[in-house]
Amino acid sequence: MSSLNIGGSQLDASWFLLLSAVLFGLGAVGVLVRRNPLVILISIELMLNAANLTLVAFSRQLQNMEGQLFALMSMTVAAAEAVVGLAILVDIFRVRDAEDIDDLSELRG
Amino acid sequence: MAIAVFFVAAAIAVLGGIGVITFHQPIRSVLSLVLVMLALSVIFLLLSAQFVFAVQIIVYAGAVMVLFLFVITLLGPARELGRGRLRYQGWLSAVFVLVLLGLMWTMLQGVQYRQPDKADLNFFGTVQAIAVGLFTTYLYPFELTSILLLVAAIGAIYLSRKHIDEL
Amino acid sequence: MSNSLLALLILLFPAAGAIVLAGRGWRAPRMVTVIVGPGVVWLSFVATLVLFLDKASGDFTYWTWIKSGSFEVPFGILIDNLSIFMCFVITGVGGLIVTYSVGYMEHEDGPSYARFFTYMDVFVFSMLLLVLADNFVFLIVGWAMVGLSSYLLIGFWYQRHSAVVAARKAFVMNVVGDVGMILGTFVLFMNLHSATYSSVFKALPHSDNGTMELAAFLLLVGAVAKSAQLPLHTWLPDAMEGPTPVSALIHAATMVTAGVYLVGRMHPIYDLAVYAHAAVAIIGAVTALFAATIAIVQVDIKRVLAYSTMSQIGYMFLAVGIGAYSAGFFHLLSHAFFKALLFMAAGNVIHAMQDEQDMRKYGGLWGQMRPTSISFLIGSLSLVGVIPFVGFFSKEQILGLAFSKPDDSMVLVLWLVGFATALITGFYTGRMWWLSFWGNASPQRPVEHPHAPALVMMVPVAVLAVLATVGGVLQLRTIGIGPAVVTDFLSQAVGPQRWEEGGAAIAVGIVTMILGAAFFVWARTLRPWSTFVPWAQHLLEHKYYFDDIYDAAFVRPMDRAASFALRDVETPVIDGVVVGTGRFSRWTAREGTVLQSGYFRNYALVFVVGVVAIGGGLIVMRAFS
Repeated sequence: MSSLNIGGSQLDASWFLLLSAVLFGLGAVGVLVRRNPLVILISIELMLNAANLTLVAFSRQLQNMEGQLFALMSMTVAAAEAVVGLAILVDIFRVRDAEDIDDLSELRG
Repeated sequence: MAIAVFFVAAAIAVLGGIGVITFHQPIRSVLSLVLVMLALSVIFLLLSAQFVFAVQIIVYAGAVMVLFLFVITLLGPARELGRGRLRYQGWLSAVFVLVLLGLMWTMLQGVQYRQPDKADLNFFGTVQAIAVGLFTTYLYPFELTSILLLVAAIGAIYLSRKHIDEL
Repeated sequence: MSNSLLALLILLFPAAGAIVLAGRGWRAPRMVTVIVGPGVVWLSFVATLVLFLDKASGDFTYWTWIKSGSFEVPFGILIDNLSIFMCFVITGVGGLIVTYSVGYMEHEDGPSYARFFTYMDVFVFSMLLLVLADNFVFLIVGWAMVGLSSYLLIGFWYQRHSAVVAARKAFVMNVVGDVGMILGTFVLFMNLHSATYSSVFKALPHSDNGTMELAAFLLLVGAVAKSAQLPLHTWLPDAMEGPTPVSALIHAATMVTAGVYLVGRMHPIYDLAVYAHAAVAIIGAVTALFAATIAIVQVDIKRVLAYSTMSQIGYMFLAVGIGAYSAGFFHLLSHAFFKALLFMAAGNVIHAMQDEQDMRKYGGLWGQMRPTSISFLIGSLSLVGVIPFVGFFSKEQILGLAFSKPDDSMVLVLWLVGFATALITGFYTGRMWWLSFWGNASPQRPVEHPHAPALVMMVPVAVLAVLATVGGVLQLRTIGIGPAVVTDFLSQAVGPQRWEEGGAAIAVGIVTMILGAAFFVWARTLRPWSTFVPWAQHLLEHKYYFDDIYDAAFVRPMDRAASFALRDVETPVIDGVVVGTGRFSRWTAREGTVLQSGYFRNYALVFVVGVVAIGGGLIVMRAFS
């Protein structure tokens, strides 16, 4: 059921899903561990890409265009979110040196 | 043949991913991400998503990542120094992410895929197919997404404006 | 004007008076208080008079208060000769006393003055409700309200600690009686399925003796508490902390006679419950003797009168206890006359002596306060039971009927007790008279030349003195000739007097009177027997140690229980739960701030942990379904 006929060979859809999971995990670790805000944003982008991969894989597997359309929307949203996130970062950088996100902890308590 | 392409692309993607999270210099992280995106776009192509392949390269790798590069050059090279304040963050994160992946794997055990729809594989994934979907069935999300972009643009401009009192 | 409306007005006048006086926040001008306070009582007296002249009689129902299944409580007024008789006593003597207190309480400031009359009007209303109700529930309502009024009035000068304590003591003992009353009503309702007098009395022949005795005893508990008979008597002497008009009205003329009224009103029950009926008589006789002995050693003039009241009510209980209801009620009327007279005359003296109540500091008032002294003498002779004053006729009637009750030898013992009490009564009354009014002025007198009482204080006293002198005419039959107005009047309500006094009884009565008068005279020189027997002196001064026994048996254990409850139950457990809940939530909140570390990475980690948890939960659920 999950076997795809791609370019003559038989590939298993679950491989794509596995790749996606691995990338997602890497992205998650990046968000949690890195302290540079820029790198965190980049890791988020990585996770989004992994999700897109899942969508497209399923779209091919089920032979339904919805997955690809969704992936398109997801890219748009990712772009928008990256833009706003970076704008905020730039604004913070104007005032202080934000190399370490642990410095930005005024909302404690 | 396709299998080989897949594995190569997958390997590049994973290496790129590891690069994203391990480089100390942010510019290198960005470039690793670009690599990941390019690998992914090849995989998209394998999956008969031609339009998505193109868009991934042009928009995602070409525009969004460039934006990131601009911001990095604006903010100057920054290196993460020393150890962070949260000592257990690293270990805990690794553990939980692994658990998360394990969970996902468990949840997908014994899942039965439904019967695929019978689609015309020549038509599938083409620009036409995308257009048909985007402008008929999913017109509403499409329009909303454009509004979203507009809002994001305005927001970004507003957030990054020069404050008058700083002149 | 219809009788039912008049009957309702009797109740409404004092209620309206109380509301008017209290409604202005006790800031009514003094003129208003002076007119409204006593005025409404006199209005009720007039209404009673109209009903009397109209020979009214009936059971008027105004509205139904409770209706629940077979339990129906109407707000109704029973007008029969007994209730009219009681209303006369309450509004007539009460009116005189409230008028008197216009002068007695003149030193109070505005709000206090108005408050006094409010409470007095509330009391008159409650007492009238008690005697006019036609069902047990409103009887209890009036009963309890009378207790409340007593509490408010005893503790009127609430800044005085002793007054507050006395008020509380009175109220608590009255509540004990209230419980008995309520339980008695329950017993009656459970067996006879009604709360109104008419239905209950009609159904009585069909119920069994056990129920009747039980109900009668329980009701007796209430009567004993309210009338300050043994063993629930200790509150009455302390109640003298209240102003003298209060003592006159509540603790001599009216409230304490409520127990007698109760037995009289419930006479169908007591006629059938012979053991309870006998208990009434025995309690009365014993209390009469007991109180008279204690009165011998009292030095406060009001205390002597208080114990005297206790003793005389014992006589009334004795009378209704042997079935001589009219005699008991006639003594109630005559006692109201002369005891109120005595209290008010004593009040005149106290007022003139600047609130000094110790008789040993009086002396020689006969020369300086002649009208008051004459009134006091009239009251005293009436109390002792000397012809021609009304006290002779009422007391002699009781003792005579006890002496000559046919087929009952036990009653002779009670007669003997009553006889002895009469002699002791003569003694303590005489002692009171000679100490206060005769001889030379004591060197400890606070005032050299006591002022004469105001007119508003003298007139009621004079009126009562006249009534005490000529009142005997109402029951001249006691000495064999003439009318028996009260007996005939009350026979409509409590039945006719079932036996007559014999000639022997009358003769014995005259002897009693002579001996009593002799003791009165000898009291000037005779030392009380208690001085010869020192242990008796101690016993009497400590009121037979009743107060100490009750203190040890009830008050202190209750105190200990209360402090235990406060220290070990209220504070740790109940307060603990309430305060602890607050403390606990604050603790959790404080511990919870750990989550708000401010670090973005922590928050992200919590995200992931949450997702893991939900995923894990879903898997577990899927595994179990």
